[in-house]
Amino acid sequence: MGALNVPAAAALVPGMPHLLAADPAPSWTALADATRQVGDRLRARGVETLLLLSTQWFTVLGHQVQCDPHLSGTRTDENWYAYDYGHLRYDLTVDAPLALAWADAIDAAGLQARRTRYAGFPVDTGTVTAAALLGPFPLAMVSCNLYADPTALAAVAKAGVAAAGGRRVAVVAVSGLSSGLIPRWITPAEDRFADPEHDRWNRKILDALAAGDDVAPLREEFARAAQADSQFRAHAFLAGSGAASGRAEVLAYGPVWGTGAAVVWWEG
Amino acid sequence: MARVFHATAGDSRTTARRGSASGGRAGIVAGYLAPHPPHLVYAENPPQNEPRSTGGWEVLRWGYEELRRRLAAHAPDVLVVHAPHWITMVGHHVNCVPRSRGISVEPIFPHLFRYHYDFATDVALAEAIVAEAADAGLVASAMRDEGVRVDYATIGALHLANPAWDIPVVSLSANNNPYFYSDAALDEMETLGAATARAVERTGRRAVLLASNSLSHLHWDREPDLPEDMGVERPFNHHQYAADMELLKVVREGPTERLRAAVPAHIAAAQAETKAGSLTWLLAAMGWPAVAGDVLAYGTVIATGNAVVEWVP
Repeated sequence: MGALNVPAAAALVPGMPHLLAADPAPSWTALADATRQVGDRLRARGVETLLLLSTQWFTVLGHQVQCDPHLSGTRTDENWYAYDYGHLRYDLTVDAPLALAWADAIDAAGLQARRTRYAGFPVDTGTVTAAALLGPFPLAMVSCNLYADPTALAAVAKAGVAAAGGRRVAVVAVSGLSSGLIPRWITPAEDRFADPEHDRWNRKILDALAAGDDVAPLREEFARAAQADSQFRAHAFLAGSGAASGRAEVLAYGPVWGTGAAVVWWEG
Repeated sequence: MARVFHATAGDSRTTARRGSASGGRAGIVAGYLAPHPPHLVYAENPPQNEPRSTGGWEVLRWGYEELRRRLAAHAPDVLVVHAPHWITMVGHHVNCVPRSRGISVEPIFPHLFRYHYDFATDVALAEAIVAEAADAGLVASAMRDEGVRVDYATIGALHLANPAWDIPVVSLSANNNPYFYSDAALDEMETLGAATARAVERTGRRAVLLASNSLSHLHWDREPDLPEDMGVERPFNHHQYAADMELLKVVREGPTERLRAAVPAHIAAAQAETKAGSLTWLLAAMGWPAVAGDVLAYGTVIATGNAVVEWVP
């Protein structure tokens, strides 16, 4: 483990594959463009590796760190397979030395790291979607443990930043806001928030982030009221990295099949 | 790739089975609560699964051995399984791929479950279930994409019930949302169960149903160095254990009608995996028969409660 690092930036980006649709809804286009903008900003800041958590790689035992240096294949989504965006080619480079150092740092923090390197491992749709939009950054990826306390994810992020040493990194969480879906097949034009109350809560959280307020005290209430994606553990991860502090910039917000999605940027 | 026996759905072998056990009648002849922890497959060391173990969780696996004997006596044409880890966010999906094959590396337990699967689907019955479900007002989809990885809850229950894989299969998804702790709408599972029963009747199949659910579902968020270390295997706490025993008391006393209230109460008390709806689907498909269930085994896996149970209507 190297000296204390400061991430160049942090970002929250959506993981729904609709952002890659050939025939997108306007909100899907806006969210995809904003995610590409995040990628441009990261490149402009000379970021070498992304420390990435996707809530679609959800786990329940320890904290899995992807250690396979090269992941390629086609992700066929088990729900969206009937659409063009349900079949996603991917070819990902993993910063394996950083991943291994991250796993060591997680263990050193008193948590349980699980080093993951298996042929045929199913990379999740969120990671594949975000990577396609952000551009070809080397990744260091960790799973989202749904049974661990969110404070554990904060410690995991902190361990990742520490493990990066002198490497210039940014921290990205691939996750949504409200997760209430429209429970039927729709056309892109029909997309809207599944529940106005979810929309209200999403905006409340985004306004708080933009104001630089601490939203951690709201997390549990947000999770209950808006069925927040993975109880909004994504924010715990981003905040734990130290990079998601101060005023955030909300680059895009809108529905994806009824769920709430946003692209949020924090300057490091 | 392991050797796998292949059966073609509806072939002459299935008709020949009718000569044995239970009078050879068509319909749903039995239903099993068939929990799917990958640990049970791992512990068995089948040739299809890459990781090797030194055993573990024997009592549950002995229960499955008894299930296999009883299943053989029922001589079904088809196994129909509802599993909570094929999570579909929009509607109920039914696997209509004639021959599903591939490797299922489980993202949560990749060190325990890397299973080479290769099985036949009873497509006619699968399509009939989709049609009946849609007619009943459910959002239902026929999944025909060979690229969709078969999940460990489907494979686990099917392997543990029938490791020879010599009976055609129909697998149903769990309409749920993976990104928050949602519950399936149990009333929809009633509808899906009734649709399944009508499809079985319409196609003349002799079917056994599998509900791939654990019971109490709180568990450790860490694993011992040796996954099959039975020295640390125990219920999450006494409350979870007691909730399971309360449910199983109702199961053993019968009739299943009492479970209409007991299952939701158990879900509330124990965060039970039956919230995914598999057990409600099974009992509804069987028409909530006026019988008691036969508990073949109970045990914990990383602290979750698991029971192997048979109902014969």
